[in-house]
Order: sequence, then structure tokens, then C-alpha cells
Amino acid sequence: MIVRRALFAMGTRFEIALAGEGERALGDVAEAALAEIGEWDRRLSVFRQDSLLAHVNRTAGARPVRLDEDTFGLLRACLAVHRASGGAFDVTIGPAMRALGFHDAAAPACPGAAGAFFIGSDGLLRDEEEHSVRFARPGMALDLGAIGKGHALDLAERVVRQANGAVQAALLHGGTSTIKAIGRPPGKEGFDVAVRLPAPAGGAGPGRFARVTLADESLSVSGRFGRWLEQDGERLGHVIDPATARPITGGAALAAALSRSARESDAWSTALIALGRRPPALGPEVTSLIVPLDQAGAARAEESRAAGDRAAAFHCWESQ
Amino acid sequence: MNETTRRLFLQQAGGAAALALMPALAGRTLVLDEPLQVAVVGAGRQGRAILAELQKIEGLAVAAICDSDASRLESGARRAPGARPFADHRELLAESGGLAAVIVATPTHRHREVAEDALAAGRHVYCEAPLAATIADCQAIVAAAARSGRVCQAGLTGRSNPIYKLAHSFLRSGAIREVVALRAQNHRKTSWRTPAADPAREREVNWRLDPEVSIGLAGECGTHQFDVAHWFHGKYPRRVRGTGAIRMHQDGRELADTVQCTLSFEDGVELIYDATLANSFEGQYEQVAGTMGTIKLCGTAGWLFKEADAVTQGWEVYANRQQFHNEEGITLIADATKLAAQGKLKEGIGLPHPPLYYALEDFVKSVAAGAPLACQAAEGLRAAAVGILADQAVRSGATVEIDPSLFEED
Repeated sequence: MIVRRALFAMGTRFEIALAGEGERALGDVAEAALAEIGEWDRRLSVFRQDSLLAHVNRTAGARPVRLDEDTFGLLRACLAVHRASGGAFDVTIGPAMRALGFHDAAAPACPGAAGAFFIGSDGLLRDEEEHSVRFARPGMALDLGAIGKGHALDLAERVVRQANGAVQAALLHGGTSTIKAIGRPPGKEGFDVAVRLPAPAGGAGPGRFARVTLADESLSVSGRFGRWLEQDGERLGHVIDPATARPITGGAALAAALSRSARESDAWSTALIALGRRPPALGPEVTSLIVPLDQAGAARAEESRAAGDRAAAFHCWESQ
Repeated sequence: MNETTRRLFLQQAGGAAALALMPALAGRTLVLDEPLQVAVVGAGRQGRAILAELQKIEGLAVAAICDSDASRLESGARRAPGARPFADHRELLAESGGLAAVIVATPTHRHREVAEDALAAGRHVYCEAPLAATIADCQAIVAAAARSGRVCQAGLTGRSNPIYKLAHSFLRSGAIREVVALRAQNHRKTSWRTPAADPAREREVNWRLDPEVSIGLAGECGTHQFDVAHWFHGKYPRRVRGTGAIRMHQDGRELADTVQCTLSFEDGVELIYDATLANSFEGQYEQVAGTMGTIKLCGTAGWLFKEADAVTQGWEVYANRQQFHNEEGITLIADATKLAAQGKLKEGIGLPHPPLYYALEDFVKSVAAGAPLACQAAEGLRAAAVGILADQAVRSGATVEIDPSLFEED
């Protein structure tokens, strides 16, 4: 049997579907997994005054902030992707997101939002022994929007795996931008997931899709305008170039990343769309699919390229 | 410095000056006394929430954690890097020499043994609310605290919550005049069940649903909210009637997933309470209705709704307001006058930390600096006793009289 549950968190809808035996047992696991996601929403939200993230942003400019293992591990992962992406992925873009208007008025005060601010993950200092972080200078703030959903899904996976027995296979997603498969459906290779590829300029022509079969792995997709707002007639996408503190201008039309961990796939889909290409430092354990842009800024879905260990898993096709 | 990854952005001309005025971080030294060592016993969801808040308190170290369940102990350990793990609280007390305080977050019916042992070992105690699952156990904890001469704080977080304290001061100064009615609710959509990794521990893990030891929704959730009513109304109830039913979770449970209680206070004012595990609308709140206005409190936020004939105070001109259908609420903001003077009133909306943080911070201040207790064990006994009796009323459907001697000061 299959049990489904859902939760509104991190500005989107998370859903979990569990296959296995026993409605009550499956329901308990689904609820516990969603409760974990809800907890990370409260901990990592930039929209809540009382989140751990707001505490770090308020405090880390003045003194080191001690963190639990999971949050510390998350920041470690952020810095690893930052390095491997040559700085394209950067969680210290908080003040830029705030200044551009991506945080609503009710969001807590953000250091640097009104005056000088500073972007650069090399200013995010870790103390491995103390499990603490601090900002190298004032005017810094974190925004974990490009990795938080993946992190929450990874920890929800841990809850599902700890409750061994009842669950045979599971599929979890956060607002359809990151999806995680745990195990595989009985008698099948995995869960089939389709990604709609962006249409060329004008939106004419057939719809293109990329299909991939997931088993014990995560897939994340980023679009340039997955979230956006309008300012002075200009459409601003939510992917920020850390070098300019403005929405990216080049990059890719769409990027997808496939990895064991949702944290990694989530972060890399953002890094890849900003870069528009696969960086040499990205190991083969993360598979990428990139839909390039042409000179005029139109998507070139027919030139989509997959690379990495699982590159052969992506199958592109055109709809009727 | 890597030019592509590390850049300073100046949004406006004033930005540069503001930055120059910031103190240089390198020259600053943080002076701490010897860190205060605490232990957390019970690493379930509440224990882990406590560990998360303790991490934020400076000058404090979680030296040990304890849980009889190995997987919970492991997840607790992730929240407290460096803490020594124990499966038995007696072992923890015997082997943690420098320990100043113990925080009790075990299942409610297991509070007494841990609190008594910790107090007897000379440790200060923060005991989660409800204080215990029986009135006798609550009284035993109060007696143990008195014998020990140690700090023993009941974990009723409303008493430490800055927004609640502000609302309480408004009420005391006559902002809503005479209290006419009290209302509180706790709505959540959850089974209240936890998956047990080991089926043999299923009943133990799901103690909230075990009719032998659980005090149900009225006890587990109601206690916290009844205390808010006690504090705000300055009185205690004399009798409680209740009803309950299983409205959603037909999973073999015996305890109601939806309850209603009416608590009658000594002055005739009634508190109408409802709690459910089948619906999440409007979550948790407490409301005090008076002849000149209504105070509504929801954990990290609170509002004052005024009657049309209520006197207008000078500060209201600058107050932040929120619209709720036909009502307009004045947002209760701690330090509002100061923030308004700085033009930062909106930044004060909501609390910088979850309510639990303030209760733990108060406890640490009492232990480390002798600050007055935010919530005495005796107050925890009164709230828990009302919760326990409300649960009895829900189960029996009968009106339960509340012995006023429960509320007498020693």
C-alpha cells in the first residue's frame, strides 16, 4: 500500500509517499519525516525571527556561534560546493537577497541590508573543534534558500531509514524542485521522474522533457526564474551572482543535478545554472544536465548535455 | 583575498561610513567565567528542542545527555557536540562531578524519579511541564525541591516569554479592565505517535497515548495554557468539566484526540479550552477578554484588541497594527517605546528566539546569578494539577471539583 502526507514548509509544499505494509506504521513514519522537515524549516528560515539562521545572522558578526552537528555539517557542505563551483554557489548572499526584495517585510533584520554588506563564503569562518562559525566582518548574513530544502530532505530520509521494517520504498519532494527516492518500487528499476525543459524563445515548438529513473538518489532542478520578482519593469530571477550581488545574467536556461544526497543536488543545481557549464572540480558522483542559452538568451533544449557517472540515465524526448 | 568570491558591496553613500564605525572584530575578546555545566535527561523531540536552545546561551556547556533509547540518544548527541552520553540518569549523576544543573525532559510520568534524584544529588533542576502525571508526584517534586534548597524551575514557558510578560503588564495596568472570559486552544494535525525502531518499545515510545500513564491533551497541552490563565487572571479554577472523543485517529487508541474543557474560576469567570489532534486551524493561543479589550497570545506573537470606548494611550499613535477580518490588533512588541524612537518598531515584531529559550535563559540566570525564579515548582504543581483534573473530567464526562488547598501558599 501507499501512504501520502504533505506539509507546507520553506515556502513550498513538501510531499512524501511511502510504499510498504501497514497503514498506521507507514503513516507514523511519514508524519515523523515531515515533522523533521518542519523542524528544519523553523531552524533555517530567513523569514522567521526565532530561527537558528536568524540567530546566526544576528550574532556571528560579533562572536562565534556554536552549532549542532547537522547544521555545522550543512555549512561544511555549503563551503565545499562554494569551492568546487569557483564561488558561483555562495550562501553569504543573504544581504543581496534582502536588498533585492526576496525577503518579505516581516523577515528579521538582516545585517548589512541597509548599509554596506559583504558577500563571500571565505568570510564564513569555521572552528571545527568548537563546532562554531563566525563572520570575518560585519555586514554578512546567510541565506540557505539554495540548499535548505535538500538538507531537510536528507534528514527526512534518515528518519525513514531509521524506521526500518514498514517502509519498502519512498519518494519525497520539496516543491518539485528537489526530489529524493529511497529504495525503488517493487519489481522496478526505480521511480521515473520527468523534467520539463524550457521552451525556446517565444515558447513555440514541441515540449521537451528529460526523463530519469531514480533509486536511492536525489534530483534537483533549477530554473533562472524559479522564483522571481519584478522591479522597475525588469524581471529579477532568484539566482544571485555572488560577484555582482545581482541576479545572474548569463548561466544556463535550466540545470539539473543528480546525486546521492539531496543537499548536494540542491546546491549543485543552483551552482550549475549560475555557471552555465560543468566546472572541472565537480566530481563524477554528481551528474549534471545543463540546458544552455544561446546568444539571444533563448533556451537550447536540443543541445542539453548530461555529464557525470549517471549521465546515461537522462533520456530526452519531445512531446507530440 | 579572492576577488571573484569576496567582495564588499556599498549600497549607498552612507554605507562606507557605517562600516568604518563598526568595531574591529579581531581586537575583541570574549571573557567567560567557567562555563556552567548542565545535563539534559530525555532526548526526545522536547529534549532536542532544549538542546538547540541551550547551544545559544553563552557561558553554558551541555556536559552530558541521557536517554534510555539508543537512537534518541544518538540524535540528541548530534545536538550537543562534546556531551557525554548516558543511558541511565543515575549513572549520569554519579559520574558528572562538575554538573550544576539537570534539565528533565523525560516522558511526564518519568519526571519525578529524575527530578528527585538530581535534587538529592545537589543539582539544580529545570523540569518540563507538566511537572508530573499525578498530583502526588508533583507534590513529591515540590517537597524534594524544598528539602534540597536548590533552584527548581517548572518549564511553563509563558512565565518567561517577553511578549507574555508585556501583555501581563498591560493587563495589570488596566488595559482591558475587568476580565470577563478566558479562552485557549491547541489545534494540531498529528497522530501524536512516534515510529518505534524497536517494536518492543512501541508502547513506551508512544507514552502520550498510553491511558495508564498519559494525562491526555488536557494534561499534556492544557497545563501550559491553564498556567497562562492562572497567571493572567491571578486566580485558580474551582471546578472543571470536560468532554472528549476520537474524531480522526481510529488507530486503536483509547485517549480522545479532540477535547473540550470548561474551567470555572473562583470569581465565576470561565476558561473555555479546546484541543485537537485532528485540525491545525489557528494552532495554539490564549485569549483574555475584558470589558475594554481583548488580549490574544500565540507563543511568539501577541495582540491587544481594544473596545471602541477604551481610552486611547499616547503610544498607540506609533503602534504597529494588524488586521484580522473585522478586528484590528495592536501588535505587542517588547521594548516598543525604544524601538519606536529608533524607527525600528517593525523589527521588534515577533520574538528573536522560541519561547523555550527564554525559560531556559531565566533558569540559567537563577542558577548562575541567583535571579528570582521565573516559575516555582509549586506553580508547576498547580498548573499540572489542573491539567490532571481536566483530563479526569474529559475521561469521565463528569464535573471534577478542584481542592482549593492545592493552591495554598506554603
